[in-house]
Amino acid sequence: MASCADGAAIDIVVVDRAASPVSNAVVMLEPTTGRLSVSPMTGVRITQSKRQFIPQVTVVTVGTPVTFPNLDTVRHHVYSFSPIKPFELKLYAGVPASPVVFDKPGIAVLGCNIHDHMVAWVIVVDTPLHVRSDAAGRARIEDVAAGSYHLRIWHSDLPAGSGPISMPLTVAAVDMNKRVTLSVDPSK
Amino acid sequence: MKRRDYWWRRSIAAQIIVLFLGMLLAVQAISFTALRTSLSDHAHRVLPTSLHNGERLLQTLLDRNAQRLIHGARLVAADYGFREALSSNDSETITSVLANHGARIGATDAALLGTDFRLRSSTSGRPQDISLVAYQLATLAAKSGQASAITLLAGRPYEAVLVPVKAPVTVGWVLMAFPLDEKLVVDLKGIASIDLTLLSRAQPSDPWSVGLSSLDFGHAMELARADWEVEVRNTSMTSLSVTGEEIGVQAKLLSAEHGPGPNPTVLALLSLSIDDAVRLPQDLQYALIAITLIAIAIFAVGSILTARHVTAPLRRLADAAENVGLGEYASVMPDTARNDEIGDLSQSFEQMRKSVAENQARILKLAYWDDLTGLPNRARFRDAVHDAIRSATADEMVSVIMLDLNEFKRVNDVLGYRVGDLLLVHVAERLTQQIVRTGDIVARLSGDEFGLLLCSSDAKHSLSVAQRIEKSFDSPLTLEGHRVDVGAGIGFACWPQHASEGDGLLNRAEIAMYAAKLRKDGPLMYDSSIDVASAQSLSLMTELRQAVERNELRLHLQPKLALDSGQIVGAEALVRWQHPQRGLLAPVHFVPFAEQTGFIRILTMWVFGEALLASKSLCNDGIDVLLSVNLSTRDLIDPDLPQKFSERLGQYGASATRICLEITETAIMDNPQRALLTLDRLSALGFKLSIDDYGSGYSSLAYLKRLPVNELKIDQSFIRSMHSDPDDAMIVQSTIDLAHNLGITVVAEGVETVAIWDMLYQFKCDEAQGYYMGRPMPISEFPGWAAIWRARYPDNSANRLRNAAVGAPASVAHRNPPQESL
Repeated sequence: MASCADGAAIDIVVVDRAASPVSNAVVMLEPTTGRLSVSPMTGVRITQSKRQFIPQVTVVTVGTPVTFPNLDTVRHHVYSFSPIKPFELKLYAGVPASPVVFDKPGIAVLGCNIHDHMVAWVIVVDTPLHVRSDAAGRARIEDVAAGSYHLRIWHSDLPAGSGPISMPLTVAAVDMNKRVTLSVDPSK
Repeated sequence: MKRRDYWWRRSIAAQIIVLFLGMLLAVQAISFTALRTSLSDHAHRVLPTSLHNGERLLQTLLDRNAQRLIHGARLVAADYGFREALSSNDSETITSVLANHGARIGATDAALLGTDFRLRSSTSGRPQDISLVAYQLATLAAKSGQASAITLLAGRPYEAVLVPVKAPVTVGWVLMAFPLDEKLVVDLKGIASIDLTLLSRAQPSDPWSVGLSSLDFGHAMELARADWEVEVRNTSMTSLSVTGEEIGVQAKLLSAEHGPGPNPTVLALLSLSIDDAVRLPQDLQYALIAITLIAIAIFAVGSILTARHVTAPLRRLADAAENVGLGEYASVMPDTARNDEIGDLSQSFEQMRKSVAENQARILKLAYWDDLTGLPNRARFRDAVHDAIRSATADEMVSVIMLDLNEFKRVNDVLGYRVGDLLLVHVAERLTQQIVRTGDIVARLSGDEFGLLLCSSDAKHSLSVAQRIEKSFDSPLTLEGHRVDVGAGIGFACWPQHASEGDGLLNRAEIAMYAAKLRKDGPLMYDSSIDVASAQSLSLMTELRQAVERNELRLHLQPKLALDSGQIVGAEALVRWQHPQRGLLAPVHFVPFAEQTGFIRILTMWVFGEALLASKSLCNDGIDVLLSVNLSTRDLIDPDLPQKFSERLGQYGASATRICLEITETAIMDNPQRALLTLDRLSALGFKLSIDDYGSGYSSLAYLKRLPVNELKIDQSFIRSMHSDPDDAMIVQSTIDLAHNLGITVVAEGVETVAIWDMLYQFKCDEAQGYYMGRPMPISEFPGWAAIWRARYPDNSANRLRNAAVGAPASVAHRNPPQESL
């Protein structure tokens, strides 16, 4: 696989304070300088089913429109006070007329004004190099050109309001492994 | 130990009342104490439970407050507009929302904190204090999503809550604080009647300060001063005394421990007054007091009635007994019909009253009446005399006649006391028969002495009564077959003629009676001359005593001669008194008196002593004679006489065989038993014994035979008349013969002529004594007389005596010689 690729593959393992693997951590690489071009995604949906947002964590590229279809019989009032995209979909049922376009990178926290316990995150990334850790906490980003990057990792268990953790990472033309410990408590 | 004299001990009634009321009060006190103890036990059992319930109630109230606060805070935190304002950092809006919602639930302070618990905005004017509270709550809130706690805010206890603001993740915290105010205290007091005091301190080193209290300020302050460190961990009630009141307290720590930094503490003290719980309810107290007062009234009335019931009869008895004590025996004791103890007591008193009355009567009778004759006694007689004189009118006279029986003693001795008593009874009867007027009294004054009181009686009348009495004695009495001649000395005196008062009258009558006895010449009226005689007797007594001391007594001796040989065989010792004024006195002037007064014993001892000396002195002069000493009746009855003689013999180193003791026949017959006893002892000592004046008494030779007698002296009355009276000569001769037959020598006294000497010689009389041979002479003259007697008749021939009388001429022989008994 390496032979057919331009860059190196980076394997990252995300663990918690107890060194247990953390799944569903969003791992991103952003070049220190410049910007890698990304294009908005399409057909991204965050449904409300059984009074839950599904999925809870959605990673989209900048400019991606997201629709919030309500599959429940009750109405929801989806809102976000997050600075990257404050919005409000007042009491609705079914599929709202227009999607919400997340045009700024960052993290938006979504809630339902009717159901306090409903929470969802939309991570808006401005880089194509992003992946989510699997059950073993592994996250592999391939075809990374050599250079210096910011390695950012975010997880919903990180303290509310805090952004992703960030660390510099210099990528050579070789594959590399990295182990990252998140300051989250195990198995929530 | 002396018993203290309490006033109530003086009265049984008071004692009963005191006892009754005392018992009542004791019972009341016991029930009151029991009630108190029961209440106290109950209180101590119930109080901890009450406090425990109160504690739970407090917790509930606090929880409810907290819930309310949390609810309110949550309401703010969930408010969409609030969250929107928060996200847009619209601090003005945020503050107004906080103020609005805080006011809604009564929170004084509300604040918004960041996720880092830093104060972002606040309605409070004291952001520093709020920050502190936020810091205290942060840890718990971070851990459990929300927090509520009781803490101090600006030094006052507050309940504070911290809830997250979620959008939908936690984007901040809302803090609300609510002062623990009077409402909490009022609620607890209102619902559970429990006092609540909140104490607080900013840090453990600070003293407690009072946050809130339903107690008064003083109590609360005192509670604040106690040390609660330990009590906080103690879940049970603590008793302590606060300003004199005992209260039960349970402490509860309200504030929680935080991390480092200042840890303000808030302590809840739930308290109940133990005193209040133990105190009797007011109405019960009143009821108890009322019951006690009513019971006291009932008991008082009851005990007073009981006491009266007991003491009234006792008082009556005491009064009645007092009357008996005062000599009032007539009234019967009260309450004797009762069947109870008082009845018993009454009956005993009644019995006593009767006995005392009877005894009194007997005593009175004994005191005033003679048992034998039934006549009044001397005391009664004396009273009667006094009464008669007191009640006599001006021209009335009162007379007292006294009589003393002659020879009564002899009747007693010879015929026995029974006959003697009979004699007295008969005399009493005879005397009573002489009393013909009312008011006159016959009394027995002593043994054989009687008295008559004659009211309104002059000397003449009294004399006639006295003569009538004497006449009544003329006829002899026949007592148990014995004929007894009765005679009496009778004397009388009259008032006011002879005495000015009763005792004097009695005295004068007695003097007259003695004088009459002596004169033997019928009844005698008192005369002052008799009294002089008795006064002389008194002075004679004094003089006689002095005579011994002044050595005025003289011993004379009269010789006794043997009729057959003419030898001087003895001499009779006779006493003379060389009186300084009256010259030499013969015994007749003082011996009878000495016998009467008992002085005779001294005289006898004196004569005995002198006789012993004389015997020695004569012996030295070559005259060996037996000296005779006379003994009187009184000497004979003196049991110590033999001993005294024996001692005197020892003193002079003399022998009893040198002395002959002469006892008159009458002296022996006065008390034959004792006389015999004394004579036996004297005889045993070695004295010769002689019966003097034999023939003048009534004794028989047969009786004399029983006496240890060696010699018989025939009374001189027989001797003198034997020459002229053949009967007397016969008596003398037969007496001599009889005596000789009994082995007793015979002495003839009063030999005054040679003719009598001759007759006696013929009759074989042993010895003779008389003026014919020799008169009594001083001892100094005796040797001279003896020398002449012997010189003239050296051959001792009795026949020569015919002309040999020494100094005893025939002319003397016919003179009536003085009677000498000593």
